[in-house]
Amino acid sequence: MPSRKEQQRGDDDDPLRARVRAIADKRGARSVAVAYHDYETKTGWSYRGDEWFHAASTIKVPVLLGVFRAIEDGRLSLLARVHVRNRFISAAGDRSAFRVAASRDANAEVQKNIGRTMRVQELAHHMIVTSSNLATNLLIEIVGVDAIVDTLSRLKLDSGVTFRRGVEDDAAHEAGINNLCTADGMLAVLRVIEERKAFSEASSEQMLEILHAQEFRSGIPARLPDGVRVANKTGEISTVAHDAGIVYVPDRKPYALVVLTEWDAEKTSGRSDTIARISRAVFDHLTGSAG
Amino acid sequence: MHQLGDLEVVDGLKLPARERQVLRPGELVRGRDGFTRRLPRWFYRVPSWEVALEVSLAPHFKLWEFLDVDVREHELLRVHGPRYVPLAVTLLAAALEAFRREVNTYVHISANGGYRSPAHGLSGHASVHCWGVAANLYRVGDDLLDDVKNISRYSDLAREVFPAFQVLPFGSGVGETDDHLHLDVGYAVVTPHGMGDEEADKNAGPLPGGGAEARRGRKGGA
Repeated sequence: MPSRKEQQRGDDDDPLRARVRAIADKRGARSVAVAYHDYETKTGWSYRGDEWFHAASTIKVPVLLGVFRAIEDGRLSLLARVHVRNRFISAAGDRSAFRVAASRDANAEVQKNIGRTMRVQELAHHMIVTSSNLATNLLIEIVGVDAIVDTLSRLKLDSGVTFRRGVEDDAAHEAGINNLCTADGMLAVLRVIEERKAFSEASSEQMLEILHAQEFRSGIPARLPDGVRVANKTGEISTVAHDAGIVYVPDRKPYALVVLTEWDAEKTSGRSDTIARISRAVFDHLTGSAG
Repeated sequence: MHQLGDLEVVDGLKLPARERQVLRPGELVRGRDGFTRRLPRWFYRVPSWEVALEVSLAPHFKLWEFLDVDVREHELLRVHGPRYVPLAVTLLAAALEAFRREVNTYVHISANGGYRSPAHGLSGHASVHCWGVAANLYRVGDDLLDDVKNISRYSDLAREVFPAFQVLPFGSGVGETDDHLHLDVGYAVVTPHGMGDEEADKNAGPLPGGGAEARRGRKGGA
């Protein structure tokens, strides 16, 4: 940890860093990490970009990469049907089973289809757009944890994203088996999608289309001006709140932004607004809109 | 409107090689219990999903309910068609109909809960589903069968109306279920009228494993 004096010196050199720190401190965040890559100015920046956090639901974006890798390899298709079954084997290694409680899932649509089938494209949509935990675990089961890990490895994303299991796997969590990410790592995931290099143009467009349909907009998009579009994925559990997105500003190239935050468990209000304020600070910094 | 009688009955041993590799008609396979059994040889050929939607196996059960599979099934049976289902599926449908009358409400078979080919991703241990005589029920009326109370209650009811039903007990271990009710009528196979295994064997050659020749007492390998 840098000393207070070193931090102050860093803040003096970097106004954005100072602003991010000020927002985080005022809101009482325990820890904040931010990273962006701007395609307009071809610059990148991060604040505590290599600090590891529990990834929460932002891990669903790397899972999306795994799904589309399986599709591009011909092992899966968007139209393939998947049995919606709410029973999963824990990654804890004890072969115990777990379910995603309906009360712990923001989306009722997938739960409603238990016993039936849904198409891969529907599950991918719900995994991102409504952050369905059940859809996520079904896709992980079909694609395979190892295949997703391999996808991240082949894309050289594993230095900043650690994928190990499905969501709501309490036994694995108790055993210390978690999905983790850094701000720099999640930023690299977004860049893979936006830059359309690792996947076909069609797959990249489809992933972006899903991210654009996001229904949770209280983080990165919330304080941005009208006309700015954001393709994003949020993540929140008891002690973390994150957002990762690509921001499309009219008349300039987009920028990718990741904001990871950690909180005391009892501090439940103001998390999304903290992310929104940091997002606005980055927007002002990049577009010269700072007042 | 298509009916069961419209479906062609086919000898699995005479199917093209690709289909035989997926269905493995007449092959001996070893189950989780250590016993070897012969997979079904006679199938209904279902030309399309639309036909499966129309054909009734019992007053309250359509053929599609026993064929509804997901991406884990071999693509030959899932994407390209036609589909195949062992003749014994009609026995299961009759038994389920008796159960349906007893509960007097909808009985829902889950996806992957009816016939699964030996190539299906969940058929690793020669599951009884490969005989087309097993059904996984996830809901009866408004009752989800995902707890000990409902699974036990409906398994008792099923055995009352059809004592030959085999059910898997509630639990999360091997051979147990905790999110559906498994019912089956044993490893039943149906040989159609006008056809016989011996006569057909003469035309099609011995069964894998040399079953017909062994029964004639010919000398051969162990």
